[in-house]
Amino acid sequence: MNRYELGIVDTRNIIKTLHDVYDYDFKNYALTFFKRRVEKFIIKHNLKDADGFIGRIESDEAFFEVFLQEICVENTEMFRDPSLWRVLKEELFPTLIKDSGTFKIWFPEVSSGEELFSTAIILKDLNLLKHVQLIASSISQLDIENTQKGLFDPKKIEVNDANYKRIFSSGELSNFYTFEGDKSHWDTSLIDNTKFIKQNIIFDDYPKGIKLVLFRNQMIYYNQILQERYIKTIYNSLVPGGHFIIGNNEKIDYWNSDKDFTLVNKEESIYKKKLA
Amino acid sequence: MYKAVVIGGSAGSFQVITKILSSLPKNFPLPVLLSLHRLKHVRSGFVEALSIKSTIPILEPYDKENIKPGKGYLAPANYHMYIELNKRIALSTEEPVNHSRPSIDLTFETATQAYRDKLIGIILSGANRDGAYGLKKLKQAGGLAIVQDPNECQVKTMTEASLKLTTVDHIFTTDQIINFLLKLK
Repeated sequence: MNRYELGIVDTRNIIKTLHDVYDYDFKNYALTFFKRRVEKFIIKHNLKDADGFIGRIESDEAFFEVFLQEICVENTEMFRDPSLWRVLKEELFPTLIKDSGTFKIWFPEVSSGEELFSTAIILKDLNLLKHVQLIASSISQLDIENTQKGLFDPKKIEVNDANYKRIFSSGELSNFYTFEGDKSHWDTSLIDNTKFIKQNIIFDDYPKGIKLVLFRNQMIYYNQILQERYIKTIYNSLVPGGHFIIGNNEKIDYWNSDKDFTLVNKEESIYKKKLA
Repeated sequence: MYKAVVIGGSAGSFQVITKILSSLPKNFPLPVLLSLHRLKHVRSGFVEALSIKSTIPILEPYDKENIKPGKGYLAPANYHMYIELNKRIALSTEEPVNHSRPSIDLTFETATQAYRDKLIGIILSGANRDGAYGLKKLKQAGGLAIVQDPNECQVKTMTEASLKLTTVDHIFTTDQIINFLLKLK
């Protein structure tokens, strides 16, 4: 196995370069995660070491975009944790539409798009797709472009198909994608109505009036400072009573001392913003 | 003098793990980090099954949870479980390693960075090569490497891969592993 280990000083130099040159501040990413991710990137792109990384990235903006894509962790699969998607399909989405007739869902980091397409497929099944505004942000322009094209990793087809059957009693997930050669594509009509936003790590602007935020297993890559900043932004983006869903083994309790959010479904980590 | 025990297992390791966890004293002095291959879409049931007979509490940690002695930390389904330098758990949904998430290699490797030569690593029965590289890193850092006796394993692939890569400190049967752990202070 090919390994390269980045020192702590090198890691800090890299963080400084990215901040100075591109105004992306990674200092509040979880340090060991960031270090590991950069090490992998250096090996994959034959950059040799930290100096090689810095030399290349500061002179090549397109390469920086590749870095942003690779620092973003892909969603593992479609319908990860099928029991959550059953709750969305059978309880939450029908309730939200009954309350207001239309609503907005925000994905603060869409990365490889599986959470977005899973949501769209369920909304389509419920005949709600045209009543719901989906909003997808990402720090990676390449991830946004790939998601807009519907591209996904064909290695995931098997697990995606299996998860679909854990939620839907009839039909096939393959009704929603095509697979030719080594390329697989979602039916992009699912996201015709989705708004995409390229963002920095620190949101300059964020959508408002949101009824549901899906942000699972992304904050695990941040330290507490950045987690708090995201949670604050998400809190402000949500309407009173809006829902916020995080990963199964994530917690926001330390932030939540003022009871800004109530945990309404412990099994699925669904929080609700307080009403007033 | 040791600060943590890290255990990796896959096919055929459940009964071994259960036996070990049921034999530890209630006041076992170290944390036990468990990286076990499991069905990724089945979230509940496993920690409960391990807890039935375990003398120490077994939990599926939250991200950034503090590691405490006398508790067992089981890598949650479909997450990698890393050990941070500040002795906290970090969960990850990064790509599978050796087709595995959790990856035993990654838990062993990061636990080694956190505990260095104060770490005991145990590889149990299993059907792939995961864990072999992690155990090697552990041994290189001065930790104590133990492998379950392949003759006793339901599936030998994992223990044999580990033995091939590393000159381990002990090749133990389940009972010998238990006796060894009971002597730790």
